[in-house]
Amino acid sequence: MLSLRIAVRFLRTSPVQSGLIIAGIAVGIAVQIFVGSLITSLQANLLNQTIGSASHVTIVAIKDGDPVTYSDLVKKTVRSSSLVRTVVPVRTVTAVFTKNTQNVPLSVTGGDLTNLDTIYKLTARTQRGRASLGNGEVMVGKDFADKYAVSPGDRISLNLPRQAPVNLRVSGVFDLGSSAANARSAFTGSGFAQRALGISSDKYSAIQVQMTDPFESKAVVADWQGHLKVQGIKVNDWQVENKDLLSALASQGSSSYMIQVFVLVAVALGIASTLAISAVQKTRQIGILKALGLSDSAAGSIFLWQATIMGVVGVVGGIALGLLLTTGFTLGTAKSGSGFPIVVQPSFIAISAGIGLTVALLSSVIPTRKTTRLDPIEVIQNG
Amino acid sequence: MADALVTAEGLGKTYGVTNPTRALDGVSFEIDDAEFVSIIGRSGSGKSTLLNLVGLLDTPTDGSLRLDGHDAASLDKDGRSHLRNGLLGFVFQFHYLLPEFSVMENLTMPARIAGKPADKSEGAFVEELVEMLGLEGLSKKGANDLSGGQKQRVAIGRALMNRPRIVLADEPTGNLDTENTEAVYELFRQFNQQWGTTFIIVTHDQAIAQRTDRIIEIRDGRLVQDVRNTYGKPVAMLGEGLPGR
Ligand SMILES: Nc1ncnc2c1ncn2[C@@H]1O[C@H](COP(=O)(O)OP(=O)(O)OP(=O)(O)O)[C@@H](O)[C@H]1O
Ligand SMILES: [Mg+2]
Repeated sequence: MLSLRIAVRFLRTSPVQSGLIIAGIAVGIAVQIFVGSLITSLQANLLNQTIGSASHVTIVAIKDGDPVTYSDLVKKTVRSSSLVRTVVPVRTVTAVFTKNTQNVPLSVTGGDLTNLDTIYKLTARTQRGRASLGNGEVMVGKDFADKYAVSPGDRISLNLPRQAPVNLRVSGVFDLGSSAANARSAFTGSGFAQRALGISSDKYSAIQVQMTDPFESKAVVADWQGHLKVQGIKVNDWQVENKDLLSALASQGSSSYMIQVFVLVAVALGIASTLAISAVQKTRQIGILKALGLSDSAAGSIFLWQATIMGVVGVVGGIALGLLLTTGFTLGTAKSGSGFPIVVQPSFIAISAGIGLTVALLSSVIPTRKTTRLDPIEVIQNG
Repeated sequence: MADALVTAEGLGKTYGVTNPTRALDGVSFEIDDAEFVSIIGRSGSGKSTLLNLVGLLDTPTDGSLRLDGHDAASLDKDGRSHLRNGLLGFVFQFHYLLPEFSVMENLTMPARIAGKPADKSEGAFVEELVEMLGLEGLSKKGANDLSGGQKQRVAIGRALMNRPRIVLADEPTGNLDTENTEAVYELFRQFNQQWGTTFIIVTHDQAIAQRTDRIIEIRDGRLVQDVRNTYGKPVAMLGEGLPGR
């Protein structure tokens, strides 16, 4: 492959120019990988914080505050969908904790611990004491425990609507990852909440459902809504309740794409202009080679090879740089405590590499056409 | 009768459309194998134009050209490239070496273009060539690290690399001193005699022209003289085309 050899020689004999183009591609790819992965991970993190430990689809009674019956029809409907990851029927009661003169409202969720774990991961998130929701036991959040000096083993008194105060023993203190949740929520066994609400054993405050893919909720909600309307039941969709967040994420996503596109366009223009200059600088050599009998197609492929070589080297360097940046960012923010890990998807790297190579090849179109069309007589006649 | 190696018939070239220049007009000649020909004429008379047409670097506006049985007009671009690479060799006033490549790489470039693994199977030939050109020990040097005379010798070697039947030289000694001019002439003669290579040399140098076997003179784009060198009284026959010394 003479064209390849000439391309390599041309690249090696102008190392600064070649280096600049390769660096340009590398920086472009690195920025794309970094920005793309940062935004994707940021969104995944935000989404996880919002709905990772929350119900995606919630079945409640149409009338606010009324319990919903976990009937056979509801069970059948919910279990029929393969998109459902877990079903957690809960009973929620608002209790008031009193300390000195302060009255603190607590949202107490009653349920079966193993079942609750599938959404709230209470066992994994227990910081002090142990995860247990036996009879007379309650788990409280970290912020609540800190603020009111409550420790595992302590007894707290809760006032329930229309009932005498109840004494419960704190079994464990959890951290749900949000201080609002940690200050205001508590968990008890199912029976406690049932008694507090005064409802029968087939009735719940809500049937909480998590999906394997939360973004599939729309179709599921529409389907269940159709089946369950007659029962005086309504089905709530997290996507509807978090409309603002989702549209913010969407516009953040598209601005990320814009940044990536503009970086790539800038890189493409840079490579194209440098390659075009290089082609002009090598006009004489190309003319001589053609006079010696090098065919037009072979001459044209010299710059195609140059672009390919610089593209490959630049892309590989860019991937390395991008991974370095993301790792550095993850480590840096982990130190400050506020961070989240940037996860770089292999598929995203592959797409980036593909785009980088395409951009490099596209920017060689003009020099390639120029060299293909160059008539050796132009060089020979003009000295 | 067999075709001549080069046959030009009524060859003409007009440059430009809006402001046309008739650079060459109705030039006819035949050149055979192993001839040693010079083309002379004043500056601007059309010598380079003629050589570039014969060298398939340019296309005539009228007339016909046959090279080794090929009708130049019927060749496509690749066909012309192929003949430039195999049938023809070029030596220009400017050496036109590739500065990115070494002496050896420049020398063997036509073989590489032809797709031959130059360094291996052609090894003996290349060695002989290097020796004849007096370039021993310079193979690895960069093309730019040579003297003017050395560069021109590499260019000559490159022109001969694919053992072409015709070497076209456009003022090959135009940039050289007397000593190097003499060396170039001697090399041309040597290759001409040893391998039967045809040489067509455009030159301003009377001393060179006088020592070629046949002298073609161009004046204002027309062939005005085409004579065999009798080596007895050549200068008188050459007319005013040669600048006096
Ligand atoms: N590309 C071109 N466009 C227009 N006119 C040209 C072109 N090339 C050559 N000419 C004209 O054609 C004529 C012949 O030029 P040519 O280069 O063949 O002369 P020459 O005999 O080689 O001269 P010299 O001895 O100076 O090299 C000149 O009048 C020149 O100006
Ligand atoms: Mg000339």
